[in-house]
Amino acid sequence: MILSNLLQTHASLIGPLSKMAGDWWLPKGASTFSPEVRFLWILFFCITVFFTSLIVVLTVFFSIRYRRTENRQHADPSPDHNTPLEITWTVIPLIIVMVIFALGFKYYMNMNVPPTNTYNIGVKAQKWSWTFTYPNHAVSKTLYLPLNRAVKLSMTSADVLHGFWIPSLSIQKDVVPGRVMTIWLEPTRVGRYELQCAEYCGDGHSLMRSPVIVASPAKFAEYLKAAANIWVHNGKTLPLAQVGRELYSTYGCNGCHTADGSMGTGPTWKNLAGNQVQLANGQTVTADYAYLRQAILYPGRKLVKGYGNIMPDFYNDFAGPGHTRNRRLNAMIWYINSLSNKANSASQPKIPNIPGTKAMSAPAAGKAPAKTTAASGGAKSALPAATVAMGEKLYSTLGCNACHTNNGKPGAGPTWKNLAGYPQALTNGKTEVADYKYIRYMILHPDKKVVKGFAPIMPAIYGAQLGGAANQKKLDAIIWYINSLSDKRGPSTEPPTGK
Amino acid sequence: MATISLHEADAAVGKRKNYLNQTTTIRSWLFTLDHKRIGLMYLAAGLTLFFIGGMLAEVIRTQLLVPTGLIFHGTGTIQSSYAAYKHYNQVFTLHGIIMVFMVLVPMIPGALGNFALPLMLGAKDVAFPRLNLLSFWLYISGAVLAVISTIMGAVDTGWTFYTPYSIDTSTYVVLMVSGIFLLGFSSIFTGLNFIVTIHKLRPFGMTWFRMPLFLWATYATAVIQVAATPVLGVTLLLLIVERVMGIGIFNPALGGNPVLFQHFFWFYSHPAVYIMILPAMGIISEIVPTFSRKHIFGYEFVAFSSLAIALIGFMVWGHHLFVNGQSAELDAIFSFLTFLVAVPSAVKVWNWLATMYKGAIKLDTPMLYALSFIILFTIGGLTGVVLGALAEDVVLHDTYFVVGHFHYVMFGGTIIAMLGGIHYWWPKMFGKMYNEFWARTACILLFIGVNLTFFPQLMVGAYGMPRRYASYLPKYQPYMVASTIGAYVQLVAFLIMASYLLHSLFRGKKAPVNPWGSGSLEWTTSSPPPTDNFDTIPVIGDHYDPYDYSHLQFDPAIGGYVHTEEHVGPHHVYHR
Ligand code: HEM
Ligand SMILES: [Cu+2]
Repeated sequence: MILSNLLQTHASLIGPLSKMAGDWWLPKGASTFSPEVRFLWILFFCITVFFTSLIVVLTVFFSIRYRRTENRQHADPSPDHNTPLEITWTVIPLIIVMVIFALGFKYYMNMNVPPTNTYNIGVKAQKWSWTFTYPNHAVSKTLYLPLNRAVKLSMTSADVLHGFWIPSLSIQKDVVPGRVMTIWLEPTRVGRYELQCAEYCGDGHSLMRSPVIVASPAKFAEYLKAAANIWVHNGKTLPLAQVGRELYSTYGCNGCHTADGSMGTGPTWKNLAGNQVQLANGQTVTADYAYLRQAILYPGRKLVKGYGNIMPDFYNDFAGPGHTRNRRLNAMIWYINSLSNKANSASQPKIPNIPGTKAMSAPAAGKAPAKTTAASGGAKSALPAATVAMGEKLYSTLGCNACHTNNGKPGAGPTWKNLAGYPQALTNGKTEVADYKYIRYMILHPDKKVVKGFAPIMPAIYGAQLGGAANQKKLDAIIWYINSLSDKRGPSTEPPTGK
Repeated sequence: MATISLHEADAAVGKRKNYLNQTTTIRSWLFTLDHKRIGLMYLAAGLTLFFIGGMLAEVIRTQLLVPTGLIFHGTGTIQSSYAAYKHYNQVFTLHGIIMVFMVLVPMIPGALGNFALPLMLGAKDVAFPRLNLLSFWLYISGAVLAVISTIMGAVDTGWTFYTPYSIDTSTYVVLMVSGIFLLGFSSIFTGLNFIVTIHKLRPFGMTWFRMPLFLWATYATAVIQVAATPVLGVTLLLLIVERVMGIGIFNPALGGNPVLFQHFFWFYSHPAVYIMILPAMGIISEIVPTFSRKHIFGYEFVAFSSLAIALIGFMVWGHHLFVNGQSAELDAIFSFLTFLVAVPSAVKVWNWLATMYKGAIKLDTPMLYALSFIILFTIGGLTGVVLGALAEDVVLHDTYFVVGHFHYVMFGGTIIAMLGGIHYWWPKMFGKMYNEFWARTACILLFIGVNLTFFPQLMVGAYGMPRRYASYLPKYQPYMVASTIGAYVQLVAFLIMASYLLHSLFRGKKAPVNPWGSGSLEWTTSSPPPTDNFDTIPVIGDHYDPYDYSHLQFDPAIGGYVHTEEHVGPHHVYHR
């Protein structure tokens, strides 16, 4: 078996051999640091080749020229020290190494001091994968970098030391747990490179590699958009379980948890949901929704028997505001459920697996209207109770509630209490009244207009989830719900009714 | 005629008892206080460990023949790959621990130092023979603990034990670290012993500047052993405390600082590389003049540079931490000092070459090793210089370039010099010669093997291959295959070496008193020496110089060198 393995790779050896030796042994550089590193390297290379050759030549020459023979048993007279000579051959290497030191230091400072206006990417290292987070909350396993733009990477480790190392971009830094390590770089050549973990980190160290793609700004934006939109593929909203399967590898859960029942560093996810779990504290519990959720969010609290307390805290990785976190969490739990033969309604998330299916027609929604109507005061024109209830339901299932409160309390986004019908100051300096058109626009194009005092952090995915004729009903339900929370609602703020 | 009388004296000595056959019980070996016997036991134990470490290296190289791993590889799922690669990690960890802590650090002082130091000095033994025996048994105990921990659950941290991985891993770190703790004490005691011996047991007339350079080197090494090793001990103790009690010194999860461990570790381990290389340089400083029949060039410089390297060597440990986030100012200081300490090493190479200049050079096996050393150490030192340059270290740290660098200095330097030393003192140790043809063949083969193994590692490291990888990108494969072939060539060389050395032990030609024509004292007593080293305590004359060869003449009848000048007394007063 070993032999056949060897033979197979024999053919593949010939190709790479011709390409051996790279660019003076280095990979072809692709960042602003590369030319400097290359220059110093070549300088060093020549010095090394010169001195090594000199010494080889001298040893060989002396061995032959001064060999001991029958007639030449003794050394020729020659002094056993010579101060000027000794000073010379000390000072020359000293000067050479000082030049190398100075250059090495100068170039190093360039690597150390980032320019002010950088594009910032978050890097999370964990056994044994890398996860990248971008300003638009996209999360990816591939590192996308914009061409000719200074990028700053803020790196953290969830467990042990890792080493962030991209040979082609001439940059390396250890990722030390408990600290935020930063580096910067500016890619200068479009292409696909590799990130490899350089600092030994255990079993999967050599597999802790990620692709790095340097792309033109336009291409880069496209990649990011695609990376941000994990919920939709080819215009079709994906079942959450399928998204969860992606996240399973994006977040590196697969580093410890298998999906097929085989052994791993953590418990397998196969047949986990709905089944009994033995805890380290002696208890036995059922892996229902609450349990799974807690196990993900608070890894150490209920340790499973036979496993170490080593799972990193993931909550902060679920980048973005609370609702995306929640949604990702639910997607993950749906995926876990999809792997189990005992999955049931108690182990499944309340939010439907295939968005826009069960929940809307669910009879449970019917209970809400009375409450909602009561809350809104009921003095105005009648509210369509069922629709408002559906909106309220969506408010939590879609995770809007993570940022927008419905009671006037502050949140990451503007509260929905008394939103409809009130004027809104925007970051572009204008003020607009929150009518139906405005609210609709804000939901579908969150990044276009931003309310003053808030960050542009609302995910673009709602455009895909709630846009289009098919989703009109859902969108309107939400807007009805927003209306129900306002004392200034009226025909202009309410979704158009009737034909 | 002096020649004749020496010849006869030799023959007489041959029938006398020597340190090898004075007593023959196993007990008399295991509890011996004779520095020469202790040296031989170190040699036997060390070579055994070197063999184990070497076989682990062959496993490593075989694994890396194919990108996914030839020996340890998964069965399709990623988890199975993890599980398989863990074994690879255990293998390279064990390889590193054995080679560094049980071979490179203790072997030259323990085996060659113990055997040769009192003889070269003209002393009867080391200052504290009992402490010496304790050192040896601590060495054995450390190795045994390491074996036990390996059987229970082989450590997978790398020889550097970086936290927090070494705190998290489920392998038997505490036991292994305890073993290394004992090895550390062994090293400290040996150093202490040598320092006192050199200070106190020099015979009358043996001034500091009449000592052979190997003794200067051993002295400088001993200073590092005594001063640096306790830091390793404390660091390892803290690691044990951290693992057992979870205090939070190094563990970031408990508020500790993992980088602190790296500082502690390298505060020992960088000086430790000089523990490895200084005695090696000492050996070379003996071999090169002897086989060139010419006085060492610049004795004072070579002597003092050993001390200078030992002292400055304490201040450069931070060059292992350039990319771990220490401040740029610190980086600059450490880089500067690293370059500073590189210069005296470089100058020693010039001194050896100048010694050869106009010499009468004979390429016997020890000299071939010395020449190999000079070339390989040059490459190793120069690659160290590029690693010391900050911007270059950023692209080379933790790659195979570093692996190549330290193998050039540790294998090409320390091990090659050690083998040179073994071949040089072998006739004195056992009173037997070895087969010169096979010995030269093995040396040349080893030289080729070392270059074939480690040169491609320099290339593939520069190309971007990280170290400690059980699997790798296919583009690195050609280099990896070349390196593995080199490792196999080395294996062949070592097998040849083992054969002719074993043959020599049992069937070797009898060695003369001074087969190489060296001027230092160990070559004036019989081969092998009597238990008390010298029949009469050597008295060193005013003109004694261990690097003066003018009074030595080759005598074909005995196959060795003899004094041609008149001298007072049979073997013990040296005028020149
Ligand atoms: C001219 C002299 C030398 C210089 C300038 C030098 C420089 C360096 C530098 C800067 C590094 C750190 C590389 C990195 O991790 O990024 C390094 C690593 C290393 N050097 Fe040297 N070195 C020299 C000689 C030696 C010698 C004589 C030895 C041993 C006999 C040695 C053994 C090592 C080892 C073992 C490592 C790597 C340890 C590890 O990370 O596992 N070096 N050297
Ligand atoms: Cu060092």
